[in-house]
Amino acid sequence: MEYSIRTEQLTKRFGAFTAVDRIDVAVAKGEVFGFLGANGAGKTTAIRMLCGLLQPTSGRGTVAGFDILKESGKIRTRIGYMSQKFSLYPDLSVEQNLALYGRLYGLDKKALQERIRDMSAFLGLDALLGRVTGSLPWGWQQRLSLACANLHRPEILFLDEPTGSVDPVSRRNFWDLIHRLSSQGTTIFITSHYMDEVEYCHRLSIMIDGRIAAMGTPRDLKRESGRATIHELFLKLVERKPAAGTAPADTAPLDTAAAGGPA
Amino acid sequence: MMSRLRIRTIALKEVRHILRDWQTLVVVLVMPVMMMFLYGYALNADAKEIPVMIELPSPGPEARTMADKIDASQLFAVKGIVNAASDPAELFKLHGIKALFRFPPGFARELRRAGGARVQVLIDGSDPNLGTIIRNAAEPMLMGATLEVLNARQPKVLDLRTLILYNPEQRSALFFVPGLMAIILLMISALLTSVAVAREKELGTMGQLLVSPLHPLEIIVGKIIPYVFLAAVDGFLVLAVGRIAFGVRIAGNPWFLGLCSLAYIFTALSIGLLISTLVKRQQHAMFAALGATMMPTVLLSGFIFPVISMPLPLRIISHIIPATYFLEIVRGVILKGVGLRELWAPLLILCAEGIALMSVAIRKFKVKL
Repeated sequence: MEYSIRTEQLTKRFGAFTAVDRIDVAVAKGEVFGFLGANGAGKTTAIRMLCGLLQPTSGRGTVAGFDILKESGKIRTRIGYMSQKFSLYPDLSVEQNLALYGRLYGLDKKALQERIRDMSAFLGLDALLGRVTGSLPWGWQQRLSLACANLHRPEILFLDEPTGSVDPVSRRNFWDLIHRLSSQGTTIFITSHYMDEVEYCHRLSIMIDGRIAAMGTPRDLKRESGRATIHELFLKLVERKPAAGTAPADTAPLDTAAAGGPA
Repeated sequence: MMSRLRIRTIALKEVRHILRDWQTLVVVLVMPVMMMFLYGYALNADAKEIPVMIELPSPGPEARTMADKIDASQLFAVKGIVNAASDPAELFKLHGIKALFRFPPGFARELRRAGGARVQVLIDGSDPNLGTIIRNAAEPMLMGATLEVLNARQPKVLDLRTLILYNPEQRSALFFVPGLMAIILLMISALLTSVAVAREKELGTMGQLLVSPLHPLEIIVGKIIPYVFLAAVDGFLVLAVGRIAFGVRIAGNPWFLGLCSLAYIFTALSIGLLISTLVKRQQHAMFAALGATMMPTVLLSGFIFPVISMPLPLRIISHIIPATYFLEIVRGVILKGVGLRELWAPLLILCAEGIALMSVAIRKFKVKL
């Protein structure tokens, strides 16, 4: 099995606070992996470590086959990242934003034009290339973010809460795009706290207080826990949350699920 | 490894931001010119027609001559002559005069007496500068008038000859052009860079840049380049307006001045960058940059108040801020026409400060993001 992302006991502490606590994650190539958790559960910290923006306190990990501790420079050329916050330049045009990110990833003029054309056709942005980005509706800005993160054809796309404050139709469209990218071989690592949409993921993990409390396919997770939806499973996990500092003894079956990894 | 292509990409993007935000650009280009004219006319130390009054209890011919002399001078405008001022302070309040010349009733008699005549000059001290001007002018003027009245000549005891070097006409333009150069370059550079970086943090684009293959140093260099140009344009504007509108010529080598200005701009950009690593919002960056550059530069660099007359703690601060050294260089080159041989020390300190500040800023920039 070839893994795009693999971590062993990855940990990040900020002083006395442990944001990410010994997580083991393995994501296969081309997989859409949902990385769930409540706000403050440690999702963004984990993503930042994987992208090389944050140095782990302990543990190991590889992304696209490169060590996150030593080879973050190589990792950065092979990943795309789209943050929960809209992070394009609102004063530049759609095309200027695309060209900017393309050039930063070393695309030459010819490749750049080609990719911009393909990508804007793929995402339906053709007609908007000349528009000032800040004047676009939210859903379109978000598509553009995805286009910018994907222009250099990364092996792995990290999407940090990409569907926050987006209407349901745009969200549905967005997930269609995600699956199209995945079918082309791109690994998708996506965080969300919308429990309804994560059913679209191939596999997912649920993070509670820095630890991974459950991991598996949506179907397996529901069956094993006897809950009808991921939403219910999530609420159950949050309620069973033990007092801070003590080891959760009763999460053993779920830990087994986590350790089982991809079958 | 630094990539020229990536740096150019960032620099080009920054230029686009600058051109899009044309309001800011107008401010950046118009402000220096406006400041030049404001300082040029407001800082004019050549006082004229200061309103004064004369108290003349017994108007004999001698006293009359004296009063005429006062009125005839360019410096004073006599608003009235009173017989006797029972309450001098009332005259100041009522007529808005700045000085009152009080001649005694027996002025004519006193003049011919051995001890000489006594004339009192009351000066409004609420504006110390003006007060000093009046005081300095009053005595020689009255003395000259008295000698004329007596038809006498002053015995020659001491022949004091002062010669003012570098700014013989004591024109204030020669004084404020270097000062404004120091202020405007520092303010523009520090303010614009700190705000530009803080804006990227606010937008979240900084994080986006940092997950790209860009090296943090490439971001810094790319972002800074357009502002070096903008600051240089402002420096040129100050010199051009100084030359055209106020007749200030550069006595020394303009290329040397340009080189020193670049060193100063570099230092100023480092300050802006350092500020931007400490704040998260554009607004905070703006206040911090203005506070850290404007105030100390205006008050402590020697622009307005001479460094020599400051108490020790302030003198120490003034020897830390880069504007002090740049001011020394600009005054040296523009007024005295000196060059590297005389100014290597301040230039060296300026460069050292710039390099030190930039290294700290780069280190903090990497750690923070």
